[in-house]
Amino acid sequence: MKLAVVVQRYGANINGGAELHARYIAEHLAHHADVDVVTTCALDYVTWRNELPRGREVVHGLTVHRFPVDRERNVKLFARRSTQVFEQPHSHDDELAWLESEGPTSRALVKFLRSKREAYDFFLFFSYRYYHSFHGIHAVGSRALLVPTAERDEVIGLSVFGPVFRGVRALMYNSPEERAMIAAATSNDDVPGVVVGIGSEVPPRPDPMRFRAKYGINGRFAIYVGRIDENKGCRELFEFFLRYARARRASLTLVLIGQAVLEVPNDPRIKHLGFLSDDDKFDAIAAADLLIMPSYFESLSMVALEAWALGRPVLANGRCEVLKGQCIRSNAGLFYETYEEFAEALRSIADNALLAEALGMNGRVFYRLHYDWPVIERKYLAMLESLKVEDAAGTPAREVAPLPGWLARRRRVLPPARDILAQIPTGPVLS
Amino acid sequence: MADFNIRTDAVDVEQIMRQIRARIREKRGVDYTEEQIQELASVKLEKFLDPKGVRSDLVEQFRRQRSGGPPPPTYAFEENTLFDSSRAPVRFIRRMLKPILKLFFNPTTLTDVLHRQATINQIYLQRTDNRDELDALYYEVIHNLVLETTRLGIEVKNLKMRVESLSSRLDFDERRARALEGVVQYRPSGAISRDRGRPQSSLQPAAAAGPQAVPGQPSAGPVDTEHPENQPARRRRRRRRGRRGRGGTPAVTNGGATQPGSAEARPFENGEVAASQAEPDDSTPDPEPDGPDGGPFSTDQ
Repeated sequence: MKLAVVVQRYGANINGGAELHARYIAEHLAHHADVDVVTTCALDYVTWRNELPRGREVVHGLTVHRFPVDRERNVKLFARRSTQVFEQPHSHDDELAWLESEGPTSRALVKFLRSKREAYDFFLFFSYRYYHSFHGIHAVGSRALLVPTAERDEVIGLSVFGPVFRGVRALMYNSPEERAMIAAATSNDDVPGVVVGIGSEVPPRPDPMRFRAKYGINGRFAIYVGRIDENKGCRELFEFFLRYARARRASLTLVLIGQAVLEVPNDPRIKHLGFLSDDDKFDAIAAADLLIMPSYFESLSMVALEAWALGRPVLANGRCEVLKGQCIRSNAGLFYETYEEFAEALRSIADNALLAEALGMNGRVFYRLHYDWPVIERKYLAMLESLKVEDAAGTPAREVAPLPGWLARRRRVLPPARDILAQIPTGPVLS
Repeated sequence: MADFNIRTDAVDVEQIMRQIRARIREKRGVDYTEEQIQELASVKLEKFLDPKGVRSDLVEQFRRQRSGGPPPPTYAFEENTLFDSSRAPVRFIRRMLKPILKLFFNPTTLTDVLHRQATINQIYLQRTDNRDELDALYYEVIHNLVLETTRLGIEVKNLKMRVESLSSRLDFDERRARALEGVVQYRPSGAISRDRGRPQSSLQPAAAAGPQAVPGQPSAGPVDTEHPENQPARRRRRRRRGRRGRGGTPAVTNGGATQPGSAEARPFENGEVAASQAEPDDSTPDPEPDGPDGGPFSTDQ
């Protein structure tokens, strides 16, 4: 079987969620199929500036085809168009213009996909919201599978994506919440789909003491791993944690790992270690008492899965329905929506070793059952095989509906995406 | 701290979260002291029960905000309104030219429509006036409902607190009764009865303190200032110490020294069950006059 993984950025040092997801999947599927990667020359997801050479390259044994981005993102234009399509009635053309301004606009990449449509059995597109996925799926038609990595934001309310979700051959979801949200927004229930998620390269024997010795961390601590950003809920985390520490005179410290976009409070109970290597990161998680995930929007928290893989309990933001759903389904984490809940849940995990251990053990089992690499690979291969069987049986392939006509595209009859998003049911999927 | 019943094979996160939320609710409930709640309740009651507060200018404000100024004046539109004028010649010319005007359009329809519109406006104005009055009434009804609901809520809170207070007092009383029952035992009526057949020698200090001594009230009898150890209060303290020191075993004290072999100690020594445990009668001493630590030991010395 010959597969192409199509993603907006690709590289051994690119650690964005969807990009890392794509790399892991490509590398693991390469054990079972002939896999190529199709991507852009961009490194920065804000500007999409061409920083890598175009052409072919081999990354971790896989052939990567890189295509230049036509133009960098104009941030002001993108913001203006976002306001237009998210908050005002607009036309189909307005949404297409928004997509162009979001990028990464690479006509060469789309042209390559169109020309190689017959060369690959299937194309796996990552991240539905970008130019390469929308136009790439239109280019390859019935050979497209989509890994949406969708979050609960206004983009899901844009009308242009409805035909994409209804027209691809199959969807590989990250979580049941993501699947429910996409089904509610686009009515794509008849499209084959499976909740897969992603595994992680968790070392079998992390060394917590090595981490403590290397970074001088003594005593008990909670850990946060990820970009330290307000959008990730870090400001609220700092506020809640310091309030908790002051109120309870707790000996627990908070260790932060990741690049800081937000200013970290100058307090001895909060320690920022910056960006760490994977080995150090896993050692740190193994040394921690618990992992805190304060993010409001996640399609799948890899860090939470890694903590569970290492037998550590998780305290998650309950306003993120995916995290809340994962905590409930796994029975491996508590969640909070207010400070009171944060304090009580943190106290429960930190002060009750038996509870922390039980949650950690459940997490380990949950990871092994659902997110271990053999499980993930099996789900992907089963889906691809079933599609191959469909093709062999001559089942009429599903195609993406073409764009509306010239006049229809210009009618400003589409409601604001925010209104569509507001109508989508919320909450974790527990069944 | 064992907050939850944890079995590693059966942790239910939802259940734990429910417990956490219940605990938060409980904590919020006890964040206020009783005095604070009373203060809060009384402030609210004063605020809402003030008759001026009930008949405040809120209704007027409500009306002002709602109306947004007085409505424009209405008008009357009749058959000749279109051709009317204050000046007679103009009026005459218009009437003369009316047939010519009718060649261009039909003014009758226009007149009819405008006449109807004027009537409709009139009706709506009247309804709006009525509506304003009704709104004021509704507002007042809702206001009073809110008032009563608030008052009821506060009363419920007060009653709850009272019930809690009473139940805690009841608990205390029950515990106290059980404690007293534990220290009261059977004694021969001739030896222990305070009022009947008590030997004179054993009655002497009690008589000095007054036969009807009430707990919490100072003794009415004479006080030996030269020998403070003879003061009743001090004697009681000594008795308590002595009894505590013996783990509640009844004994007769003499000048602070315990005498295990005395007459009051015998029933226990003989293994007899205290007769007063179920229901005290005349033959058993009443523990009340000396409080919880009194009872059979009030007749010592």
